[in-house]
Amino acid sequence: MASLDAARSSEPLSLRLRRGLGNGRVTAVLILLPPALILFTLFVILPLSESGYYAFFNWNGYGSPTDYVGVENFERIVGHSIFQTAVGNTLKIVLISLFIQMPLALVLALLIYRKTPTNAVFRLIFFVPYILAEVAAGLIWSFVFDGNYGVSASIAAAIGSEPYFLLADRDWAFVAVMTVIVWKYFGFHMMIYIAALQGVPEDLIEAARIEGASRTQIVRYVQVPQIKPALIVSAFFAIIGALQVFDIIIPLTNGGPSNQTHTIVTYLYTFGLTRLNIGFGSAVGVILFIAAVTVAVFYQRFFMKRGAVA
Amino acid sequence: MADVRLEGITKRFGSLTVIPDLHLTVPDGSFTVLVGPSGCGKSTLLRIISGLENPSSGRIAIGGKDVTKTEPSQRGISMVFQSYALYPHMTVAQNIDFGLRLAKTPTVEREARVAEAARILALDDYLDRKPAQLSGGQRQRVAIGRSIVRKPEVFLFDEPLSNLDAALRTQMRVELAQLHQSIDATMIYVTHDQVEAMTLADRIVVMNKGRIEQVGAPMDLYDRPETVFVAGFIGSPKMNFVKGAAIGHEEAETVGFRPEHVTVSDGGEGFEAHTKVVETLGADTIAYVEADRLGELTVRLPGHIRLKAGETLRLAPQDEYLHFFDQNGQRMEVSR
Repeated sequence: MASLDAARSSEPLSLRLRRGLGNGRVTAVLILLPPALILFTLFVILPLSESGYYAFFNWNGYGSPTDYVGVENFERIVGHSIFQTAVGNTLKIVLISLFIQMPLALVLALLIYRKTPTNAVFRLIFFVPYILAEVAAGLIWSFVFDGNYGVSASIAAAIGSEPYFLLADRDWAFVAVMTVIVWKYFGFHMMIYIAALQGVPEDLIEAARIEGASRTQIVRYVQVPQIKPALIVSAFFAIIGALQVFDIIIPLTNGGPSNQTHTIVTYLYTFGLTRLNIGFGSAVGVILFIAAVTVAVFYQRFFMKRGAVA
Repeated sequence: MADVRLEGITKRFGSLTVIPDLHLTVPDGSFTVLVGPSGCGKSTLLRIISGLENPSSGRIAIGGKDVTKTEPSQRGISMVFQSYALYPHMTVAQNIDFGLRLAKTPTVEREARVAEAARILALDDYLDRKPAQLSGGQRQRVAIGRSIVRKPEVFLFDEPLSNLDAALRTQMRVELAQLHQSIDATMIYVTHDQVEAMTLADRIVVMNKGRIEQVGAPMDLYDRPETVFVAGFIGSPKMNFVKGAAIGHEEAETVGFRPEHVTVSDGGEGFEAHTKVVETLGADTIAYVEADRLGELTVRLPGHIRLKAGETLRLAPQDEYLHFFDQNGQRMEVSR
């Protein structure tokens, strides 16, 4: 096969083209490729390049950008303490997703992956937060945490303590935000694991039982290695998702108190869009894009391939 | 080494009774084959012995010890699955010593046992490979190796050869028989293939609809089937059944005779038969015929007989090999 391919690739281009035309391959490419290429260029490549262009201007979004400032926007961003907090917060979300949300999802998946009516009910219950719109989830939790009228107010009243405003606490507000994020997305990861666990042959688990493996040993030595590809994909979603967290934070804290709960995207929105610093916002966007692409490429290279082989 | 006793085992799934009140003793060191058609409960019975399935009622004893409530790993058994159930992410060596590692067996002993199993099963060259890099027969050997290293008192096999091609199946059958001779352990083997049962077993348990039809040595079942079911199940091609009245034995409801116990007669006695299909196997020729008054029959004839479809023969079942059954399908003795 390989030698055949090698022989073909050494043929002159004209000969290969003629053969392609003969069997309809070239025609298929000419007909099918342009629509996808045009749409991708219009809606992905062009906006991205424009954003990259605006990042070098001081521009409020009206008229054409004329005030070229070089890399000043990038310098301002990197030196901005709130951006540093936002990056730190984003990293915290990545860590919490990988080390709390994923294990939690895995434990729950292991408890309810078998097909029984009870498990189906629990699966639905655990999956509901993920179905909910992010903004709605954020609003619901902002009511829950509300010290005047929310659930936390009722609890404070019941135990006879002063009302507590968690989302207004500089030290604890982001913990509350991360709790909501875990609550919102663990169901998604759980579903991935459930699907994967259902694909693990029952024989393997029974063989391990006969060999004397305990429940936790079966999970560790049989089930987890078997669902490794699913774990790798789910971790990828968790990391990329963490870089994009936005619409839960806006209704919950809007980045406050004193800009302590921004992520990179809410930072972009607040300091770029709402303050009409489109050039500045574009620069944040470029940084975020580079970060996301870097993560994706490295992840694909080091985990996905190996996961697929194992 | 241990015998296995099953007393009053029943198994119900919801309202469906799969095994109603079953008693069986598997002698120490025997190669016992549970055989029967799909859905007869043989695999369920094996899983009950292994502890993967709990009986609805009844008692299981292995080596005189009641293990009805004991965990599978504590029963002194090992099991080879139809799918082999090898861990794809582990090497052959890791697959074989998985149980030993769990039991925290010292490394030196573990390596010795793996080497011994690899030697017996000719797996020495494959210990570092993953199951995906092995052929079906090699995978089956790894699964058996995993059983051997645990030194169980009872080996359980759940249709272990059914995923192999015909040639490999024959070879593995021989290897299993040799294995039984060399390690001398009690083996319980489930199959739906009566050829496997006949060739491997020193004792066959024929099951039908959750009940035991007959227990005995392979040739006992062949020579003296106790029921119509056993008579039809053991032996290949299948035994022919005709109405007793049609063959001059009114006292029996059904009379059976095997395809190999029919002779071609030159005239006089016997029945006229028209051949429909002829299969030439070399050593034998199998003829499917339509006989007067008797209906469709199968006949095994010598290999070199020249026979074509559509020819007419005169056939006579050999009198000493007739099997008689009553209305309930039970064997009955008839004076001839």
